Amino acid sequence: MIQAIKNYFTFLQRCGRLVFIGDWRYFTWTGTLAVFCLLGLNAYCKQFAHGLITTGMSDQVSWGVYIANFTFLVGVAAAAVMMVIPVYIYDNEELHDLVIFGELLAVAAIIMCLLFVTVDLGRPDRFWHLIPGLGQFNFPASMLSWDVIVLNGYLLLNVHICGYLIYCRYQKKLPAKWFYYPFVFIAIVWAISIHTVTAFLYVGLGGRPFWNSSIVGPRFLASAFSAGPALIILAIQVVRRVTATVPSGDAKQRFAGAANPKTVASRPATLDDLELLARFLPEFDSVSKDVRREILPGLAVLDVPAGDTFLRQGETDPHAFFVLKGQVVVEREESGRYRITRSARPGEQFGEVSALAGTPRMATAIAEEATQVLRVPSDALRKMMKSPRMNKIVHARMAERLMITDRALMILRNIVQVSMLINVFLLVNEVFKEFYSGNLHSISAKYLFVGLHGHHALVPWIWSAILLNLTAMVLLILPVSRSLKWLNLTCVLCIVGIWIEKGMGLVIPGFIPTPLGQMVEYSPSLNETLICLGIWAFGLLCYTLFLRMAVPILQGRLSKANEGQPEDEVLPVLAANSSAQN
Amino acid sequence: MFSQPKMNSSARTRLVLLALAAVFAGLTILFVFGSSGRPRLQNIPLVDTNFLNTATVRRSYADLVRDKEDLSDFDCYACHEKGKAPPLRFDTNQNIIVAKEHPDIVMGHGSHGRNNNCFNCHNETNLLALQSRDGRPLTFSDSPQLCGSCHGPTYRDWEAGAHGRTSGYWERSLGSINRKQCVNCHNPHSPHFPGRKPAPGPHLLHPPEVATATEPESHH
Amino acid sequence: MSTPTPANGMDRRSFLRTSAVLTTGLAALAASLKPLMEMNDFPTAERFMQKYYKEMTPADMDKVLKRITNEVEKQYGLRPHVRDYKPMDGVQYVYCLNLTRCIGCRKCVHACVAENNQSRNPEIQYIRVLKMEDGSLDIEKAEHDYDPEQVPEKGFFYMPVQCQQCKNPPCVKVCPVHATWQETDGITVVDYDWCIGCRYCEAACPYWARRFNWTKPEIPKERLNPEMSYLGNRPRRQGVMEKCHFCIQRTRQGKYPACLEVCPAGARKFGNILDPNSEVSYILNHKRVFIQLKEEMGTSPRFFYYFDV
Repeated sequence: MIQAIKNYFTFLQRCGRLVFIGDWRYFTWTGTLAVFCLLGLNAYCKQFAHGLITTGMSDQVSWGVYIANFTFLVGVAAAAVMMVIPVYIYDNEELHDLVIFGELLAVAAIIMCLLFVTVDLGRPDRFWHLIPGLGQFNFPASMLSWDVIVLNGYLLLNVHICGYLIYCRYQKKLPAKWFYYPFVFIAIVWAISIHTVTAFLYVGLGGRPFWNSSIVGPRFLASAFSAGPALIILAIQVVRRVTATVPSGDAKQRFAGAANPKTVASRPATLDDLELLARFLPEFDSVSKDVRREILPGLAVLDVPAGDTFLRQGETDPHAFFVLKGQVVVEREESGRYRITRSARPGEQFGEVSALAGTPRMATAIAEEATQVLRVPSDALRKMMKSPRMNKIVHARMAERLMITDRALMILRNIVQVSMLINVFLLVNEVFKEFYSGNLHSISAKYLFVGLHGHHALVPWIWSAILLNLTAMVLLILPVSRSLKWLNLTCVLCIVGIWIEKGMGLVIPGFIPTPLGQMVEYSPSLNETLICLGIWAFGLLCYTLFLRMAVPILQGRLSKANEGQPEDEVLPVLAANSSAQN
Repeated sequence: MFSQPKMNSSARTRLVLLALAAVFAGLTILFVFGSSGRPRLQNIPLVDTNFLNTATVRRSYADLVRDKEDLSDFDCYACHEKGKAPPLRFDTNQNIIVAKEHPDIVMGHGSHGRNNNCFNCHNETNLLALQSRDGRPLTFSDSPQLCGSCHGPTYRDWEAGAHGRTSGYWERSLGSINRKQCVNCHNPHSPHFPGRKPAPGPHLLHPPEVATATEPESHH
Repeated sequence: MSTPTPANGMDRRSFLRTSAVLTTGLAALAASLKPLMEMNDFPTAERFMQKYYKEMTPADMDKVLKRITNEVEKQYGLRPHVRDYKPMDGVQYVYCLNLTRCIGCRKCVHACVAENNQSRNPEIQYIRVLKMEDGSLDIEKAEHDYDPEQVPEKGFFYMPVQCQQCKNPPCVKVCPVHATWQETDGITVVDYDWCIGCRYCEAACPYWARRFNWTKPEIPKERLNPEMSYLGNRPRRQGVMEKCHFCIQRTRQGKYPACLEVCPAGARKFGNILDPNSEVSYILNHKRVFIQLKEEMGTSPRFFYYFDV
């Protein structure tokens, strides 16, 4: 028990140290974010000392840009987890590792949500009044109390799922399905609830006819599922970029290089080699001696010197490999950049996808040190996998590759496409309802879309948002958005459009005019803006640090097996990666 | 695996870190010497205490009598003859002509000269009293009865407390009330409730001309 | 290993560099907290742990009242008289407002401010008088800022709006910490020491009746009303909500609220609807047309507007 805690502590320590390793781009990025965090913190201290008068809010417009951002980010957090559905329900391999990125984004988004709500409170020092049991929690009448429960629960759920999966990867252990599968399904349901509850915050207020409409809930979900996956599409490409590198001269050579399995020293395998494998791969024990003798003739053992390539992307080769000694790094090339997809140590496999599916090699394998591998032809591999334990471990390890394929991005694009279509359709519904009957309840909508009594500060904003969303929708329908450049542009249009529409286009018009008909407009103060930027910077910083810790573990670069090795030595590839970048 | 790290990019890292340290130092100075964030409030003058006054619109003759004040201005028989009714004069439009000795009386009780005979209310045989519609004398402190003889519904409301001013205790068992009379608000000669200058209107938290800025010096 | 890796122990230069960044970073972090030194209102341990109003024993309340008395004396130089008035039995307050009589003079607004120790700057006023066009109750056409030489103006009527103390209050429903609730006599109150300042109630109120303390309230010492109550007019703090509470410190002693006392035209009527002899019972029994603002909201306000003529 103590040992388990100590192990976890070591794991956390190593992750923590990772945060301080990086290249100049990393430090520029995190440094800039840190600067904004500090500016935001200073601005918040001013607000804490002098009150919310330092913002642009007033009794007439009593919620502003804090709650607007909160509303937008709850949607992002919900959508991030909704991506989980294709993976766990439809068993889609492509998106498997993306799930972790989505959930980490959800964690960062929820942290931002909680921060935005806290800075909006007039007396944050009285937060304990919200704690059920200690304080006076108005559940179930107040929708805010529901929000407190679902947001914190969602945070805990995602922290648990991500933390558990990453820690298991670190330990090179298979995660126990019962320990995270149920939580994943709960998270899916919970994701819908956090956003619906947030919508109900507004919908339940009969005194504000602009919000008191049944379309608000569905619109929230539709816009969230457009903006959230759009953000993930962009974030994932950033991850793909920074974890990949353009190798310089001689490395490029090595990739194009000639070394191929046949010229590497090889010899037939013996039963002793299989015993060695069993030592590192306990599941192999379940393969009976008879089967072992049966497959032995086809097996070979290769000794590969450090730095040699012995498996090339694009080749067709029906062999899988198990590492007996040393370490192999598997890298995939995409658009001239190379990324580590996995790192295999004794007992671990690679090349099994091509062996089982017959597809060309998806990546190149390079020996990082003097390595001995066991080469297994595909029929032998299948015979091995007749034993259920072997089958399970081979499949599980297969899923543990950090593949960020374009196909994954296209699946996300489809989600954004459908959601944006629904979002625009719901907008049309809303506009018709507000303006066709001409009754008095639509004055807030009038203010928003065409201005009222000479006040029209929001009109250019909402029409820009509509234009952005419509453009995004059209681009998503057209096949041109299948090209990454156009897809990225579309995502940016989508995110900005929905941020405006959900933030300024939903929260502010609910207050203008006031229930007594007074027209007082709102614009955020400098202090308020700095606090918002600070919280966004903090959220992005959290996400950056999460990825900084998660990616090497997902790539197999940082694991229990190389504890004791200092992190900057363990990740020379990363350091070299960046330095080789021009 | 890949080539050696190029010297210029770890130099770049060093540069970035140094720049970062410099920016942090700059931020420290900015925070220490920057503005405190104290909001600069607009100038809202305190409301004139006249607007907080609960006094009635006017004080009636009956009030003056009750409070034993100086009634020398109201000594009718200082000028008028006892026992002789003062003569009334009307102009060609049947409007009463008020004597120049009563400059503060402006007749406006009833449109079209409906109520312009002084002795509709005043008692011509005893100027220190009023008279009811059927000629009985009424003291000045019973004036509401006189008003009520024409203004029935309002009088009924007044009796119940629904018209006019009542101050004191809604819970009568805990204290007394002070119900004002008709003439405490309505000048019997021109009873239309007088208009007045309203108290100042509301001020916005962030008035559009003066942006809520922050400044280092204290405002108050 | 083809890549030369930095030695595990850093060399002196990189150590200095790292510590430079860390030191300046921490210095910036500490310096960024400097505005907190301007805080005038940081809660003491006792105030931080103060119980919810409904959970206070009479002894708790005594201690709290004493503390409030001392705080007010320290700040304003005037020893107040702070009490906690409990609701009377058999009482349901109702407010009737005669729209024929209101002249729009706004004296009620300022009498309320004076009685209830509201902030003068920034300005908090519970009552908002609306200037409405004759013939229509469309609040959207109301004017808030009128300032003519004389009121009332021809063609308009005036409608003061304050907290309607609804029977079905949306603000009570939405408060996440039960800081606002309706008492048995009908007054919706706020526990100023329990409110967390989320302003959800302000968004929920259909009458725009709730006010927030955007900064430390300013009450001139010479205008402080020393007769105070816990749920009523004791000075509030930055960051909490407040609203009309029917002058709870007066009405629970049986007196009329300040707005009624000052109204020169006698347009305001207040009392216990359960008492058949009260003015409000008379009005509700004898007048024909009553306006409850935004009746369709289902809030059941206790405010009845009516016309004589």
